[in-house]
Amino acid sequence: MDVGLLGQFVVNGMMLGMMYALVAVGFTLFFGVLDVIKFSHGDVLMVGTFAGFSTYLGLTAIGIDNAFVQLVGVLVVSIASMALLGAIIARYLVLPLKSAPPLNTLLVTLMLGTVLRESIRLFYPDGSNPKHFPSLLPTDAWSFGSFTLRADSVILLIGGLLVIIGVNVLINRTRLGLAIRAVAQDEETAKCMGINFKMIVLLTFALGSGVAAFAGVMNGLYYNEINFGMGLLLGVIGFSAAIVGGLGNIYGAILGGFLFAGLQTLGAVALPFASAYKDVFAFAVIIALIAWRPTGLIAEKTSERV
Amino acid sequence: MATASALEVKNIYAAYDSADVLEGVSLSVPAGKITCLLGSNGAGKSTIIRAILGLTPPRSGDILVDDQSLVGLPTHKVIAAGVACIPEGRKVFPKMTVVDNLRLGGYQENSETVLRDRMDQVFDIFPRLKERRNQLAGTMSGGEQAMVSIGRGLMAAPKVLLIDEPSLGLSPLFVKENFNIIQRINNQGITVFLVEQNVHQTLAIAHYGYVLSQGRVVAQGTAQELSENKEVHEAYFG
Repeated sequence: MDVGLLGQFVVNGMMLGMMYALVAVGFTLFFGVLDVIKFSHGDVLMVGTFAGFSTYLGLTAIGIDNAFVQLVGVLVVSIASMALLGAIIARYLVLPLKSAPPLNTLLVTLMLGTVLRESIRLFYPDGSNPKHFPSLLPTDAWSFGSFTLRADSVILLIGGLLVIIGVNVLINRTRLGLAIRAVAQDEETAKCMGINFKMIVLLTFALGSGVAAFAGVMNGLYYNEINFGMGLLLGVIGFSAAIVGGLGNIYGAILGGFLFAGLQTLGAVALPFASAYKDVFAFAVIIALIAWRPTGLIAEKTSERV
Repeated sequence: MATASALEVKNIYAAYDSADVLEGVSLSVPAGKITCLLGSNGAGKSTIIRAILGLTPPRSGDILVDDQSLVGLPTHKVIAAGVACIPEGRKVFPKMTVVDNLRLGGYQENSETVLRDRMDQVFDIFPRLKERRNQLAGTMSGGEQAMVSIGRGLMAAPKVLLIDEPSLGLSPLFVKENFNIIQRINNQGITVFLVEQNVHQTLAIAHYGYVLSQGRVVAQGTAQELSENKEVHEAYFG
């Protein structure tokens, strides 16, 4: 195969892996603190991307056309508004169902996802058609033989990596992260340590949703197209990635995200059938992996003792 | 009891499990002393701890710490009022290191310096924890986990320390050591409310005691009085 094309596939695979990992981290955080699956996660990502897109339109309309300022505006509005939406969903939909079976939360958030999706389709101006998302990053390109590396791809990859590292540092090195981990391990004892449980749940949902909004904007900037249904597949893939990596484990979510992207890329490049089957191939392998390792590839450290 | 009480439970009614019901329990925990609550399984001992912590709010009655009512407060505000708990079964965070467990004990303290001082004090009491500071608590022995749990309770520098069944599941040697440490903690001025089934060792270190049976206080007095009370012995401790 042509080296340039291969390089392109690798960059594309890494980009997808980064987005999936960012979405999967949200699933794993929510499951960690409350043992629930929030199925509207992908649609929150989509709403965040549309919020970012609207910000771009608004900034353009009032004459601000500096791409950097626009990018910052898009990211800030998108992330902040989805962090708020995530906290609102946690406060009014997820926490009230806390003592109900987890299946109820899954169903309610599944329905919420549909509401978000259909609302954008029906109420966003011309919402049923795909939108052209602007290129706000420099598009310089470097050529290495037949392989072209674009600056915007590099920036997106670095940005995604920084967010993942940031989330990791937050969870493992800060007081908030300590509280999130404590709540994830033992809610009642965490309360007895003086942790404000509700506040931690809201902040965790805000964090996961803000990270998803970042992934959505990343997706828009990379493909230059967004639509009301974009969250559905991203949500399902992020969920699968979190499960296959080991739900509740952040490293597992990241591993799962990149694994899924790797499988998709492999399915598109190396297999003898049309690349349209790449998702079928990737999901089939994921199903096999889940059957092989039901608790995820990175199993929880077994440390049960009397 | 002449001393001012640090913790006051007034006529509370509460139910946790159907077996663990409180029917009008009142008790007072004097400041700076060890007060114990004795009783068999299902007498309502755990429900009192849960009621004080706000985990199982009482249906009626009042709970006061330094004259501030705790009833209706979420648990983190109860902790902010100066209460800390060494829970039954130790309840260490298994997938966290010893240091992280201790830090959680002092969660409401913002000053790094204060936290480091308190952690040094805990390491003074339990040199073993210092050696194993980076070990995951879940991989430690029961006795070591008890040290983590006690150390974690001390990290809050509480006014009132609730200790729920510290002898449960520990070897006799560890139980003895634990009771010595509880006495040492109390000598530093921390008010202790100790819930136990282990009558003799508990009364040996406590100043005052209450006996709970079927959700009611059936006897109370100084530790001395309770030890000498034949009726109490025969009826409740066999």
